[in-house]
Amino acid sequence: MPFLQHLCQLLYDSHIGTAIRESNNAFPIIESVHVLSITLLFGTIAVLDLRMLGLVLRPIAIPRLARNILPLTACGFAISISSGFLLFWAEAAKNYANPAFRVKLVLLALGGLNPLVFHTLIYRRAGDWEAHPASPWRVRTAALTSLAIWSGVIIAGRAIAYF
Amino acid sequence: MKARLAFAAAVLALAISALPAYAHHSFAAEFDATQPVRLTGKITRIEWTNPHTYFYIDVTGPDGKVTNWSIEGASPGALSRRAWNRGDLKLGDTVTVEGYRAKSGANVADGRRVTLPDGRALYGGSPGDGGPGDNGTDQGALPAANK
Amino acid sequence: MSLHDAFMALAHSPLGHAMQRSKWDFALVEMVHLLALALLGGSVLIVDLRLLGLILKGESAPAIGRDLSRLLLGSLTVMILSGIAMVSEEAGKCYYSPAFRCKMALLASAILFYFTLHRRALLRTGTGAPAPGARVAAVVSLILWLGVGIAGRAIGLL
Repeated sequence: MPFLQHLCQLLYDSHIGTAIRESNNAFPIIESVHVLSITLLFGTIAVLDLRMLGLVLRPIAIPRLARNILPLTACGFAISISSGFLLFWAEAAKNYANPAFRVKLVLLALGGLNPLVFHTLIYRRAGDWEAHPASPWRVRTAALTSLAIWSGVIIAGRAIAYF
Repeated sequence: MKARLAFAAAVLALAISALPAYAHHSFAAEFDATQPVRLTGKITRIEWTNPHTYFYIDVTGPDGKVTNWSIEGASPGALSRRAWNRGDLKLGDTVTVEGYRAKSGANVADGRRVTLPDGRALYGGSPGDGGPGDNGTDQGALPAANK
Repeated sequence: MSLHDAFMALAHSPLGHAMQRSKWDFALVEMVHLLALALLGGSVLIVDLRLLGLILKGESAPAIGRDLSRLLLGSLTVMILSGIAMVSEEAGKCYYSPAFRCKMALLASAILFYFTLHRRALLRTGTGAPAPGARVAAVVSLILWLGVGIAGRAIGLL
């Protein structure tokens, strides 16, 4: 058995994983928290991305909006990741073979990388934007990429139940 | 506005491309209401898990051949609210399952009415899945015994 | 036509038949509903956190409210349309479901509140600190919308 699959089986068979999986209330509650946390995670970052596309909140400078929104997004990410990890712990062996789950993980990794790329390559020139309501093409690309990746994560997440 | 439409279109395209040809969610999507089944067999395996519970029974056909059927039920939480608990099913028990066969034609059925060894008949459908017996509440309306 | 008849009519409509027959149309509609939920939640969060005086201090609260109202109402519209499609797939079950009725009541309350007291709170706050009662309005708004979301989860769980 491949190492990763073995790891997944260990998690699945563990006491905690089994308890969550066979629970009456814990699983539904964790799952509900996970689903609703997308508002904090994707909802907030989407507003920032839409601002970067020049579609909302134009009077507010992008760096200022980012400073106010990113802490919320980080909070949403923390809740999503922890609830998601618990769900994974309970279903690990089944998730291993699930193509939708694999796609979701890849997209999640990309989603984590995107802000890194954005920060190092684009954000440095934040001062330039204060004067312009329209965004340069790099900013727009970063915004569209972010929207696409996080939408993909949500869609792949929902698709897990279908495999 | 145009960007938003384009975004919505891109998302829909992504959604369509991400979907398999076979969906699972509600009763109508997975099970065939025109293929009722009535199965009696010994339990060979029990998975009392979220999001759905499963138990497997060995059913002996009229020709003597034994096939193993997978019976899907509601989540442990939903079943517990109908006084159907984890320990009620035991390996080796003989149960009768009335439900509907999976659209795929596989030996899978949903347990809409399950008769336990102690004689109790319980409703196994998932709350809100839209299948026979579903009335939107977690109790469900136990379908009458058929055939 | 009674409410029950309306639900049954929806189930027997072309939309209803398409949704009931489909292999993956329902999944697609669910996904759209989920994405719109995230966008609706995000806009509600940002407006209400401004109303609470927690973010974007000094920025005009009513201006933010007005600006994000397009996103908020747009995603709400998408949620209602996708919601109707999902109800058409299981209309009878929705009609009788206590969780569904609760969700509709909360939704109506949230929308009503949004257009009345919530709007007033935003206007009175202006660019300053939250006006008296504005914080309460923000909390009520957050609770109502969160309630809609939780009731929605309950439809399929309880």
